[in-house]
Amino acid sequence: MKKILIALAALLVAAIAAALLTGESQEPGSANRGKPVDEDDLRDRRGALVDEIVFTQETDVGKVVGLIERGSHHLFAQGITNTTVFQRLRDSERIGYEEAYGSSSELTLNPVGPEFENGELNPFHVPAIREALNWLIDRRYVAQEIFGGMASPRVLPLNTAFPDYARLAAEARALELHYAHDPERAQKVISEEMRALGATLDNGRWHYQGEPVRLIVLIRTEDARKQVGDYIANLLEDTGFRVLRRYRTAQEASRIWIAGDPAAGRWHIYTGGWISTVINRDESENLSYYYTPRGRSEPLWQAYDPDPELDEISERLQRRDYATWQERQQLMTRGLELAMENSARVWLVDQINITPRAEDVELAADMAGGIAGSWLWPYTVRFRDRVGGRMVFAVPGLLTEPWNPVAGSNWMFDVMITRALDDSPLLPDPFTGLFWPQRIERAEVRVQEDVPVERTHDWLSVDTVEEIPVPPETWIDWDTGDERFVTVAEKHPEGITARTRTRVHYEADYLQHQWHDGTTFSLADVVLPWILTFTRADEDSELFDPSYLPTFEVFQRHFRGWRIVSRQPLVIDIYSDQIYPDAEAIVAARTPTAQPWHTLVPAILAERSGELAFSSNKADRLKANWLSMVAGPSLSVLERHLGSALEQQHVPYQAQLGELIEESEAVQRYNALTDWYRERGHFWVGSGPFYLHSVHAVEQAVVLRRFEDFPDPADKWLRFVQPKIPELNLDGPMMIAVDRNRPHTFQLDITYQGEPYDHEDLEAVNYLLFDGDGAPALRGRARPGDDGRWLIKLTPDQLAALGTGANSLEVAVTSHRVALPAFASHAFATIPGTTLTEETP
Amino acid sequence: MSQFDSGRAIKWRGRFRDLRRIMLFMAMRLLALFATVVVGVYLTIVIANMGGKVDELRRVQIRMEAAEVVRADPAFFDMSSEERNELIDRQVQLEVDRLNLDQPFILRSFDYLNRAIRLDLGRAEQMHSDTGAREVSRIIVERLPATLLLFGTANLLVFFVSVFVALHLSRRYGSAMDRTMIALAPSSAAPAWFYGIFLILLFAFVAPILPAGGMVGVPPPESRWAYALDVLRHMILPVTAMFLSSIFISIYSWRTFFLIHSSEDYVEMARAKGLPSGMIERRYILRPALSPIITSFALMLIGLWSGAIILEQVFNWPGLGSLLFQAIGHRDTPVIIGSVVIFAYLLALTVFLLDILYAILDPRVRVGIKGGQS
Repeated sequence: MKKILIALAALLVAAIAAALLTGESQEPGSANRGKPVDEDDLRDRRGALVDEIVFTQETDVGKVVGLIERGSHHLFAQGITNTTVFQRLRDSERIGYEEAYGSSSELTLNPVGPEFENGELNPFHVPAIREALNWLIDRRYVAQEIFGGMASPRVLPLNTAFPDYARLAAEARALELHYAHDPERAQKVISEEMRALGATLDNGRWHYQGEPVRLIVLIRTEDARKQVGDYIANLLEDTGFRVLRRYRTAQEASRIWIAGDPAAGRWHIYTGGWISTVINRDESENLSYYYTPRGRSEPLWQAYDPDPELDEISERLQRRDYATWQERQQLMTRGLELAMENSARVWLVDQINITPRAEDVELAADMAGGIAGSWLWPYTVRFRDRVGGRMVFAVPGLLTEPWNPVAGSNWMFDVMITRALDDSPLLPDPFTGLFWPQRIERAEVRVQEDVPVERTHDWLSVDTVEEIPVPPETWIDWDTGDERFVTVAEKHPEGITARTRTRVHYEADYLQHQWHDGTTFSLADVVLPWILTFTRADEDSELFDPSYLPTFEVFQRHFRGWRIVSRQPLVIDIYSDQIYPDAEAIVAARTPTAQPWHTLVPAILAERSGELAFSSNKADRLKANWLSMVAGPSLSVLERHLGSALEQQHVPYQAQLGELIEESEAVQRYNALTDWYRERGHFWVGSGPFYLHSVHAVEQAVVLRRFEDFPDPADKWLRFVQPKIPELNLDGPMMIAVDRNRPHTFQLDITYQGEPYDHEDLEAVNYLLFDGDGAPALRGRARPGDDGRWLIKLTPDQLAALGTGANSLEVAVTSHRVALPAFASHAFATIPGTTLTEETP
Repeated sequence: MSQFDSGRAIKWRGRFRDLRRIMLFMAMRLLALFATVVVGVYLTIVIANMGGKVDELRRVQIRMEAAEVVRADPAFFDMSSEERNELIDRQVQLEVDRLNLDQPFILRSFDYLNRAIRLDLGRAEQMHSDTGAREVSRIIVERLPATLLLFGTANLLVFFVSVFVALHLSRRYGSAMDRTMIALAPSSAAPAWFYGIFLILLFAFVAPILPAGGMVGVPPPESRWAYALDVLRHMILPVTAMFLSSIFISIYSWRTFFLIHSSEDYVEMARAKGLPSGMIERRYILRPALSPIITSFALMLIGLWSGAIILEQVFNWPGLGSLLFQAIGHRDTPVIIGSVVIFAYLLALTVFLLDILYAILDPRVRVGIKGGQS
């Protein structure tokens, strides 16, 4: 027995030793980091700048930071909000990070009242008391102390990193100063309004009908909002209220604040939070959403009773009922003022999500969505000043749901990977949200005269006409029986018009590009996805999916047709009634995207047979598997249908696509896909800068490799790696003796990384002058000077109007290159007479 | 009838009576175990659904998710509020239909129970297997090998090492090694994941010679041998953590147990007769103690089924423990029930088999109609 035990122990030790010896080196920085960049290499290289990316699942953010520090991992795709981890990575020399501003924190107030159904007083029924909370709360404290610097104060219902805030920077600044921390003012307003409600202050405590006024603060426990809730509760206790703190998780709290009846009095304040993973370029709808019953159908929203003017403005903004951009900005300005007076929500901070990465890793991160929300990460990721090498990305969830290009997983981290595998015709700017062309050369947007649309970039044009008739041969619907498109002439013999026509000119060689499996693009790749758009909503079709119907009906309401203007080069017209304020967004929303039709065929056949379904909902209805093109039981089904398609030389939707697909092409494509599956073990074929090399579902790893036949040079998008946020230095006299004959000039240096900021890249340089009482005295635009210098000249009359005392000059700079505005301020004193004056430099 | 025939008849009657008693005992035992399983599974269903309150939570969650999807999609921006709310309502209803939330929970709970008892594990409501399948059986089966590999290795190692070391110590009562083991026994108060954190810190970060987690390196090696060795490397830390957390208390327990048997008169007699110590261990100590050892072994084996939630999370091990953790997080009742009902059946079966095994191993154990007779 002893011998056996000794033998077993020896075997175990030997196995462990072998495992240790054969394992990869775990030394920090030992991973393949490519080679130093050579300008020629960079120019000649196609597609991605690294050779391989391995995605792996890791949920423990603390561990990932250690792994990045150790060098075995290079990036954690999830934004972190933990201040301890943030401090650790900030102190590390081996770790860098990207910042994203998509999350925000606020206080949702219960507006029911003045009494709840239980007879208790609800002070927040009174808008003035709600408004007073803005003065009571020190947002800077919340941002710096509670969020540990991972947040910036926010006053308005506009995200401070999104374009609308930048566009309204001057107006926003004025409101922010008006609602700056002023607890005495808050106390005064609250006292007046409480007394008006019939409450009395006895021994420092508010009482109503003989009972202490009780406030229930519903505090979320999962993140820093727990401390926020405690902070607010403390403030309210100091103001004389009796406060009950109810600590709840998201689910527990949702039953109370969103699903429950606010009149029941189960809560007064809820520590809310909102998130946006894309840069929202039009936040005008926020007023309607956050302050009026139109926002949502839940009881809380139905309890909102906004001022009629706010109601009207928010509705007009929501309907985009304005003729010019200027009118919209006026509506927004007034709407923001009224929203602050209403204060059904008190905005606290915009959180900064930190995405950790190795110090020498560079890539384009989205200002709202971080790295996971960035479309450009696959085109820009690299080791600094190097090309090639392998990176390991950790994500908290991998292959969360089945992948298919029709209705597959839309989990953020799955989508992050598939973005690297596909090549979208347009890509959003990570810093402004505006789209840039990737596979199209240009676009023409034609809109009706009454449609306010703005164009920023010059790769597209916008013109307005009185009416846009839709040509009769335009495709507008799908006939499932005959398997062909229905034209406008057939469906609307009387003719129809559209509010927009978008003409998309694809790259001249678009249809010569290659898919990852070596097959060449064809027009059928563009048309088949369109057929699916319609046929999945048709009850007569075997692909009918009831869960798709509501979305399709919305689409159909504004869709007015689709027409191929030219096949070589490919030009397509899309007619629609749907409007976006940015013309670039209209093009992005309308441009058809290609899918390799031969990969869709086995999937379509599998859904028709009832074995698989594109969508989760239909899969559950059929008791079938949700179609996955990369793993699991779907693969054998797809393989079988691919075999039968090859055998029958199947051409999908023969009546429509027959002229676009020759039998020889069908055979060639099916053979290519068969080889691809045999080699890679999956059916995901794209055209992006990376191809899907292998999927290890149980081991939770996905391997991407560089697609060497990608058409673009590797450095195409590198200019988007760093957000070009203007850096400001405002200088001028500290003390001005007001002299009736003498103007004074302030200098504003706008730079980026020490270099003057291009004037063409700047959208606006606005200034605001506040007098000694903090009231806005003047606003205007700075004049451009030389070498990035801008000048603000104040005339003697303007200075005299300030009176004597301390004044403040505030500057707001907005750029075309980044949505985040930059601010600077300069305090100076005005004194009477001419005795003392600092010289203006 | 001759005396011989009469004797045979009595013998047959006796055997038949014994068989009848055994069958009756087994039937009653099976019935009791089945009732226990039914009650246990139903309690799980009720608890997992918080007595039906989960339905309410789920409805709220579905609505919030639908509302956020509609709010975030620019394609819906120009819809009126009424249209948008209508769209949200339709999306919510689709999900309510899919999850059958319109049916009262009490009815669904019996449906869950009925299917669970028939081992028809059905489809998960929210989750998927790692490869994308929705069948609960597949979700569980995909995770089973990883759990069996890790926990099987660790538990078998702990079991056999502790039994043999304890046997060894039982004959060296009061030795330095014995005192050391007793002193180390309280170290088992800390759970395996606690040791895991320290081991990761030491061997994955301070002296980075072993992986910090996962079942295999990234990307997984392509050759089978390299893959196997890589899995072995990834097992070292979690197995060590589990080993450290239970070996000393296990040795202490078995040592105490064996000490009781070691002091029996018949063992003293064997010693006095000068029998070899190996023979004393095997025949005089181990054999009478076999029933509890086998019970412990069997329970250890079925304990593998549940994995260990926190340990798997710490080591990012794709096993059943982390699956259960995810299922609870998603409130995916079919997956929770699936895990529990299989465990319940395995436990019931083990208890049943142990009853039989006891009778085989220990002739003193006999059954009677009314309570056990020996």
